Amino acid sequence: MTTDTPDPESLLPLPVATFHILVALADRDRHGYSIMQDVAARTDGKVRLSAATLYSSIRRMLEQGLVAELRESPDPESQDERRRYYGLTSFGRHVAVAEARRLTELLSQARETGLIPNKL
Amino acid sequence: MLSARIFDALLSFFPAPFRHEYGGEMVRAFSQELQEARQQSRWRDPAALWLRSITGILITAPQEHYHVIKQDIRYAFRTLRAQPGFTAVAVLSLALGIGANVAIYSLIDAVLLRTLPVKNPEELVMLTDPNSRGSNTGAEIGERSLLTYQEFLQLRDQNKVFSSLMVCQSAVNRVQARVNGGEPEQIEERLVSAEYFDTLGVPALMGRTLGPADGPKPTLAVISHDFWQRRLGGRADALGGSISLRQATFSIVGIMPPSFFGETVGDQPDVWLPIAMQPEVLTGRDWLHDNPASLQKTTWLQAFGRLKPGVSLAQAQAEASGIFQQGLSAYYTSAPTEQMRRDFLNQQLRVRPAATGASGLRREFGQPLTMLLAAAGLVLLIACANLGNLMLARATARTRETAVRQALGARRGDLVRQWFTESLLIALAGGMAGLGLAWAMRAGLLMLVSESIQLPAAADASVLAFAFGLTLVTGILLGLLPTLRTLKVEATAGLKEQGRGLTASAAWLRAGKLIVVGQVALSLPLLVGAGLLVRTLENLKNVDLGFAKQNLLVVRADAQTAGYEEPRRQALFDRLQDRVQAVPGVVAASHSYHGLFTGGDSADEVQVEGFTPRIDDERGSRYDHIGPNFFSTLGVPLRLGREIALRDHAGSPKVCLINEAFAKKFFAGRNPLGLHVTQLYGPQRNTFEVVGVVANSRKNGLRGEIEHRYYVPMAQPIDVPRAITFAIRTAGEPAAVIAAVRNAILAEDPNLPITQARALTEMINQRMVQDRLVARLSLAFGVLALLLAAVGLYGVMSYGVARRTSEIGIRKALGANEGKVILMILRESSWLLLGGTAAGALCAFGSLRWIETRLYGLKANDPATFAIAALVLAAVALAAAWLPARRASRVDPLVAIRYE
Repeated sequence: MTTDTPDPESLLPLPVATFHILVALADRDRHGYSIMQDVAARTDGKVRLSAATLYSSIRRMLEQGLVAELRESPDPESQDERRRYYGLTSFGRHVAVAEARRLTELLSQARETGLIPNKL
Repeated sequence: MLSARIFDALLSFFPAPFRHEYGGEMVRAFSQELQEARQQSRWRDPAALWLRSITGILITAPQEHYHVIKQDIRYAFRTLRAQPGFTAVAVLSLALGIGANVAIYSLIDAVLLRTLPVKNPEELVMLTDPNSRGSNTGAEIGERSLLTYQEFLQLRDQNKVFSSLMVCQSAVNRVQARVNGGEPEQIEERLVSAEYFDTLGVPALMGRTLGPADGPKPTLAVISHDFWQRRLGGRADALGGSISLRQATFSIVGIMPPSFFGETVGDQPDVWLPIAMQPEVLTGRDWLHDNPASLQKTTWLQAFGRLKPGVSLAQAQAEASGIFQQGLSAYYTSAPTEQMRRDFLNQQLRVRPAATGASGLRREFGQPLTMLLAAAGLVLLIACANLGNLMLARATARTRETAVRQALGARRGDLVRQWFTESLLIALAGGMAGLGLAWAMRAGLLMLVSESIQLPAAADASVLAFAFGLTLVTGILLGLLPTLRTLKVEATAGLKEQGRGLTASAAWLRAGKLIVVGQVALSLPLLVGAGLLVRTLENLKNVDLGFAKQNLLVVRADAQTAGYEEPRRQALFDRLQDRVQAVPGVVAASHSYHGLFTGGDSADEVQVEGFTPRIDDERGSRYDHIGPNFFSTLGVPLRLGREIALRDHAGSPKVCLINEAFAKKFFAGRNPLGLHVTQLYGPQRNTFEVVGVVANSRKNGLRGEIEHRYYVPMAQPIDVPRAITFAIRTAGEPAAVIAAVRNAILAEDPNLPITQARALTEMINQRMVQDRLVARLSLAFGVLALLLAAVGLYGVMSYGVARRTSEIGIRKALGANEGKVILMILRESSWLLLGGTAAGALCAFGSLRWIETRLYGLKANDPATFAIAALVLAAVALAAAWLPARRASRVDPLVAIRYE
């Protein structure tokens, strides 16, 4: 079966929430609450996803093929079987990388113009 | 826990599919967050969390709804694209159905419903009858239809209830005019009082309107936007230009905005002129003054006004009628008898709302259009039933899909939404195509009605709303059947159904058959109605006029307008008669005052020698003035005595002819020759000796009994005719001699307005315009309904045959031959047909009484028409059933059984 994978660039720029979710899932698969916690921890509480924003984003990311729902819990110790876990797809990883590259380029352009110092 | 429940409740802002998918997770995540926030601080963090969560819901919920709708539409599109045949048939039939409805509705809207393009139209009132047009000379009794200018002046000057009041000519006149000194051309004018534009509250687009400050005889004109564009090229220097017509030259002072057509729907005057110029525009008569000596008023004006704040309609009517009746009392002081005076004074004004203005079209086309809208509505209903049936079949075919989707967690709500999205999408496509079709159909309808009727543009909020509403209703109707079906499918039951899906399809077949019976039942009244109206039209075409209508030309010339005083007219008429008679191609020519089928007529009280009327007897009779040899020119046979001849001139004894109806009514059994008929009106008395009896002939109407009537010589007039109408027998096509006759008249006097010059057949055709419109359209609707019902029957029977392939195979294997199989299928169709026809006949009996008044020469329950309609329906339906029956008969038993 062939699936036509869209060009990762076509989804850029990503909504902020989407990129945060991709980043949160980069090192391991997580359930929804864990994603919220991770985003808050990484940003020192500056970015907090509401449940509505999170799941609306996840619903869209599932359709776009950025993330996938896991059939089994990655954490065999987990007590809560109802929890739904999400993981990054390889397409999702490509898109996250593309977005990171886009942001880096933007940043270096800002540096070249002297808008921000070379070392922040 | 309370917090979780509140949060859960807030999730109902999301569409159900989303809520079902993620609701639990979201509540769990929120509860955990809340727990954590409470550990941080007692109020601050939980409050921030609530704020963040609620904001999140309010922002994302609409996005999710949009997403679901988009998904449904995409899915519906995919499904419809996968079945292009079905989609095309569905969209096309809806486009036809919706188009026909919208086209007819747009005419109803323009003629009956739309308010005038004036300031606050709902505040406008009328003091006259909106349906009245033209001019009446004589006296009216009861509710007054039109006003005289004097009556208007009294009302305007004495009332305290109207903030403004105006009058205008009730009909537009086509007159010859020169624009900016150019070649003579025909333009349409309307005379209006100085208060006209102020009362309507419409300012000029360019220049100014007419007003009270213009003086007593203003030679000013305001032109329509259309005339400005069409005739004057939309140039700014049109203002200050001149229009010369008859005895005055007007300078153009204003151009009205494009939407403005005045106060009468269906009229589009080119120019509005001051009423004070009536004697110069409608020459040869003075309609600005009432003449008490004659007891005859000429009423010719429509009156509109606006009420002062706080004044009710009833108050306005009481005061207006009071002033009006004082005026009548002062006018009719010299009535010859007290009874006559009482009759004359028995007139009232009625004040009524006038937001939709005046229109003669309403009385003529209101009922036919409503009738046609009902017929078009029925057609749409039948089309909907067909498509509903098809959709039902699709729903049945998709029973398995439905069940699978339900088993996979799709809820009924989702499936129902899906069906409705599909049907609304089809309806929307049909509606949009229908709107385009409606535009074309409307143009066609207007052409069918008359080229002289000008209606405002088609697109209007109300028409669009109607089209949209109709589309929506259609979409819902279409979605309803498959939805009901879907709701009945139990997930497991659907899954159990394998292959041909026996239970569900049997249920569908039952529903499908019921729908076909309904369609047949609805088609029959449409067909019968169409049959009745078409036969009416035929009957009207073949009405015996009492003379041959072929090769007869009617030409009318207006002596009064050309400035001929009464004493000079008879000599003019005689000279014109000689000239017309001499035109090559004219076999015979004679003339009368009113002429044939021109709509004009005269009637007065008569006293007939030897006839004593009973109390309740009608004492009036219609009459006309005729020239020598009038009836032999027409070919109406003389029953007794002689015709009017040249020797019946002004100086000879007064004589008259009567028709057979007159003889029968007043001279029953007596020989009328030599007896006398006296015409009475006020002090006027004219006694004529009857010198001949002619056969009955029709003069104006095609319907009804032929009225009793007498004919006096033009040379011995009751009132001197102001015009002459020729009846000309031609050797060939009447149209071929029109130009020559016209030239002959103009050779006598180039200023004589020729107000009519047409073949009689054409004039009669024009009179049947409504009958033709109604007959043709109902026939079109009837045929459409018939075809739709046939398609419905075909669909159901085909499906039934396909389902029973194996049964038919077994029957054939057991010895049934092809004929027997065909008979079996046709028998089933016949039952459906019979049921539908019976129900339809009942509907037709009940509903067609409504069109009784439109029929001529047959009754609404005419058995022959019913029989023909039922036979046509049966023939077409059986033809539709024949195809599947033949297919069934060719089933190969071996193949069918193997299939089993």
